[in-house]
Amino acid sequence: MDEPALIRNAQHGDLDAFNTLVLAYQDIVYNTALRILGDEDLAADASQEAFISAFRALNSYRGGSFRAWLLRTVTNACYDELRRKRRRPTTPLEPETGDGDEVETPRWLADPNASPEEQLDQVELEHAIQHCLENLPTDFRTVVVLADIQGLDYTEVAAVVKKPLGTIKSRLARARLRLRECLQSFRELLPAAFRLEEKRGL
Amino acid sequence: MTTPSFRDMEQLSAFLDGQLSQVEKTRLEARIQLDPALAAALADLRQARAILRHTPKRRLPCNFTLTPKMTRLRPPLPRLVPALSWASATALLLFILTLGTNLLGQISFGAAAPMMAAAPMTSEGYGVGGGPAATQPPVTDNTQVIPTPETFVMTAPAATLSGETRGGGAAATQPPVTDNTQVIPTAETFVMMAPAATPSGEARLVAPAAAPATKATPEPVNLWPYIWLGLAAVLVAAALLIRRASVQAFRRKVGVKHNS
Repeated sequence: MDEPALIRNAQHGDLDAFNTLVLAYQDIVYNTALRILGDEDLAADASQEAFISAFRALNSYRGGSFRAWLLRTVTNACYDELRRKRRRPTTPLEPETGDGDEVETPRWLADPNASPEEQLDQVELEHAIQHCLENLPTDFRTVVVLADIQGLDYTEVAAVVKKPLGTIKSRLARARLRLRECLQSFRELLPAAFRLEEKRGL
Repeated sequence: MTTPSFRDMEQLSAFLDGQLSQVEKTRLEARIQLDPALAAALADLRQARAILRHTPKRRLPCNFTLTPKMTRLRPPLPRLVPALSWASATALLLFILTLGTNLLGQISFGAAAPMMAAAPMTSEGYGVGGGPAATQPPVTDNTQVIPTPETFVMTAPAATLSGETRGGGAAATQPPVTDNTQVIPTAETFVMMAPAATPSGEARLVAPAAAPATKATPEPVNLWPYIWLGLAAVLVAAALLIRRASVQAFRRKVGVKHNS
């Protein structure tokens, strides 16, 4: 994929070129939105909105990391969504556990290759992570989603959130500290295979 | 063994990501070897990061590709945009100028209208009174008149008529000032008043034309508003044509691709 050429064509109004970029980046965009918002439908809306905004504002792209530019657009869409959510709080239709936690619907995990046990492990892991992420302030959550979940380097994260590197470093450390404490309470729920892998990593 | 400070945790976090300088890294590694609390904190951070990196990726609920309808696709503006912007600005300026010129014309015309109405009266009323009245403008007491060019166009024939009728040539050169009346003459004043001081021989030739004051002096037609207006119209039309051509070209380009 010749990304610069596609971007140039898209800037001249070529929607096909832009859609090629969409296909390349929609996965990271949607998953970033999902981790920030914690809701599939809102994440899908934010992603779609982000791509539309990106296409309209494509002429303002002045080079650099296109991924960071796109993620900035989706991050802004997520912030808008969170603000709307705060103004108009809704009651989830999903059933809740006795602790008041929403029961995850596992339809998105329809991985034909995964065994039921693996599926369950993934459900538990994701549930734990999402729960801990949602307890973080939005700014910290965004940084940790971008750096640790999506694997962006500090420079790209700084470009996405438009903050200096020092701020990114500090926010990431704080976010990791809080997540560490939170995830410790889910330790028993984490997949066994994953725990073994972590011990090897240490 | 001490509890790591936040500064330590920040350093450990950056260390994990390879964001420390070589000096900082060497120093921190030495401390980690000596301090088990730092080593434990590093292990915890590493584990938290590893868990996050294993966050399952969700499959997309749908593709997010765009259609022209979704984007309400608008063609990119042609490269003449700056020129078009300037054309719009110029057109607006010209419009304002035209409007302003017309309005100013109306205002000054409105100011001259009473003079026009009074001009015939001058030839009759002041004619009886004798010479000095010949150049007096038709003003009343306590009135200040600052004549405009139009004023003189209207008043001059009346003065000529009076001068011819009563023969008050010498008096006609007096400044047209009456009681409590101030008239500030301009260069035009003298130009226009000069015929009034002309002896009756010349005045006779002028007199017959003076009866209908408006016919005597042909009003110069101000063409500038029309020129400006025409220019503005041409600019706007050019802008619209260029824009239309650009839109059509864009639709051809996009339409072909998305219909295929």
